[in-house]
Amino acid sequence: MRGSAVSYGLIWDLAVCETVDKSQQWILSAMQKHGPELVTMLWRILGNEQDVCDAYQSTFLQLAHYQSRCKPEHTKAYIFRTASNVAVSMLRRKIAEKERLSTVVAKKPLRPLANELDSKYLQERLRGCIARLPEHLRSVITLRDLAELSYAQIGRMLGITAATARVYRCKAIQLLSVWMNKEKREKL
Amino acid sequence: MKKTIANQRPSKCRQIRAHLHKAIRSHFGPDADWVQNHIGNCPRCQRRFASIGKVNLALSLVKSQPHKLDLLMRANTQAIGVLKRSLREAPKANTLKNMQPEPSLLERCSVYKRSVANVAACITILFLMKIGVFSFMDKFQTEGQKVITQYYVNQVGEDLANDIFTA
Repeated sequence: MRGSAVSYGLIWDLAVCETVDKSQQWILSAMQKHGPELVTMLWRILGNEQDVCDAYQSTFLQLAHYQSRCKPEHTKAYIFRTASNVAVSMLRRKIAEKERLSTVVAKKPLRPLANELDSKYLQERLRGCIARLPEHLRSVITLRDLAELSYAQIGRMLGITAATARVYRCKAIQLLSVWMNKEKREKL
Repeated sequence: MKKTIANQRPSKCRQIRAHLHKAIRSHFGPDADWVQNHIGNCPRCQRRFASIGKVNLALSLVKSQPHKLDLLMRANTQAIGVLKRSLREAPKANTLKNMQPEPSLLERCSVYKRSVANVAACITILFLMKIGVFSFMDKFQTEGQKVITQYYVNQVGEDLANDIFTA
């Protein structure tokens, strides 16, 4: 009698497990659908392959544990915003670490003017400045320029109009240009 | 009837918006003549434009930097590794672990862009020949020549006009 009760219990557990599994299959579908775009965006924000894998993993882990394992209403928006936030946090940590190390070890030699157009240096500076941007501007610039989404899509994701997204991008570019120029003058 | 007007409205609105955007860009955008003339003579604006150009350059450098082909595969494998066992063992998970980035349909078709344009040009020429546009143009040219000859005959006399057009 007890044996049959245990086996019924096992069958019930298996059935529950099965339904949960089926309901979570959307995570893999989301990975298949948005994975390539997401990897591209993360690569452009971070510029390091291991960091990209870590940020990607963290994004899908957060998605799997979203509000008692339910599917968010706008999965794409959730994934992209989470990934962007995770990547920027990683970037900030990296920059802080670098600054701490540079003050501890020794002062770096000043870069000559000829290196101002050095590709790697420019990219690093841009990433540093993007990480410093206020959240609303940073979201627009990452989604528009690094994820290459349209203004309409960005508007829907952030809950703003396409025109507001355009204005935010313009402001972000202005701020970036001021900061990048300022850094250059400071270094000179 | 009302329904058709209501259906037409969004597309018309879109068209008007696009026209407005184009007009504003051409008159007040950075490519407008008066803006370019000002920038040419204002060192402060030149500096501003140069720094914005630098940001755009940095953005395009970031965008053009390639990553390894297996990055998507590695990222998927790492992400799937921390999901539940049932998801890890799903058949889709295996597909994702071997997934590689594929170019979009537009990018794949862009290879044939030039040949498609050539074929379209040939078809257009054939179509114009078929409907007799070229013969009509010949007729138009001879008629025009006749009018000009007549004008010269009236202005400078028949002998001189003949000298000009027979030479």
